Amino acid sequence: MGRRWTFRKLKINVMKNLLFVIIFLSSIFSIVTAQEKFITKSGEINFEASVPSFEEVKATHNSVSAIIKSNGEFASLALIKGFRFKVALMEEHFNENYAESSTYPKATFKGKVKDFDISELSTDDKEYVIIGMVNMHGVDKKIETKAFIRKVNDIIFLDTQFILKPEDFNIDIPSVVSSKIAEEIHVSASFEFKGKT
Amino acid sequence: MFLLVSNLKEKPKSWLMKKQVKIVIILVFLFLSVYFAYNYMYQDHRDIKEEKAVVLIPASELVSYFNENNSKKVLNKTVQVSGIITEINTKNIILDDKVQCSFDSELKNLNLNETITVKGRCIGFDELFEVVKMDQSSIIK
Repeated sequence: MGRRWTFRKLKINVMKNLLFVIIFLSSIFSIVTAQEKFITKSGEINFEASVPSFEEVKATHNSVSAIIKSNGEFASLALIKGFRFKVALMEEHFNENYAESSTYPKATFKGKVKDFDISELSTDDKEYVIIGMVNMHGVDKKIETKAFIRKVNDIIFLDTQFILKPEDFNIDIPSVVSSKIAEEIHVSASFEFKGKT
Repeated sequence: MFLLVSNLKEKPKSWLMKKQVKIVIILVFLFLSVYFAYNYMYQDHRDIKEEKAVVLIPASELVSYFNENNSKKVLNKTVQVSGIITEINTKNIILDDKVQCSFDSELKNLNLNETITVKGRCIGFDELFEVVKMDQSSIIK
């Protein structure tokens, strides 16, 4: 009787310990798998569609939002009205006739940095591939682009360049001006992500 | 043919003058159209700093325009908002965690938790961080 009782006590003790171990392990596991987020609200996007010997067609945006998670998930949002041109009339035409920013106020990107491992980042640029969807002018378009990523003092720097075509986003450029706007639009983006606590 | 030449010989002066006047008129017209075309093509950017704000509200209320589908009233318009600085970056500040004001030049002499009034152009609502964004901002007080 006494032996059986101590045995039961032992069993309870083991189970208690086991429970503790399980809780301990699962908490470690959740810390490990918790996604670290890095964000920016002042990313920069430039695009250029200039044709030689014509007026420069170029715009800059420097309050683009973006998030990158430690698993490589990447999202970005640019408000179309934030693109600034040197020529005021060009900015007006871009907003009213081409990007139609009142109807389609934003351009977004959602995707993933392939084979991203945050612990592998160093102060030197490392080349990655980003795959994802650009949404602009109400149209989705899949893109794949090279990106250079480095990490300096807990800030992640990401730079990328790619080409977009207005026709892919249902943006018509009238024949009167089509000779002055390039068919391929060179886009460059640069972000400085800070860790979110 | 003969008639035409004689005609010319008869009053060459007035004919020449008429031609000169015509040329002058055409030149003036050309000059004016080039001048207006140039002014139209290279018109100045809006001066947000000098524009009168369409709304003067607390920063937290600007978001409600976008929740109530009233964004047309503020989008691309000059707005003036006041609030407490909750974040300071090199070229932008965030008021009440709700409005991001971007400036054309770098910021200095600003402190967190300071109450401030800012005028700028409202460019839209950013769903990623749930903030309204403004650019070309200037500090009112």
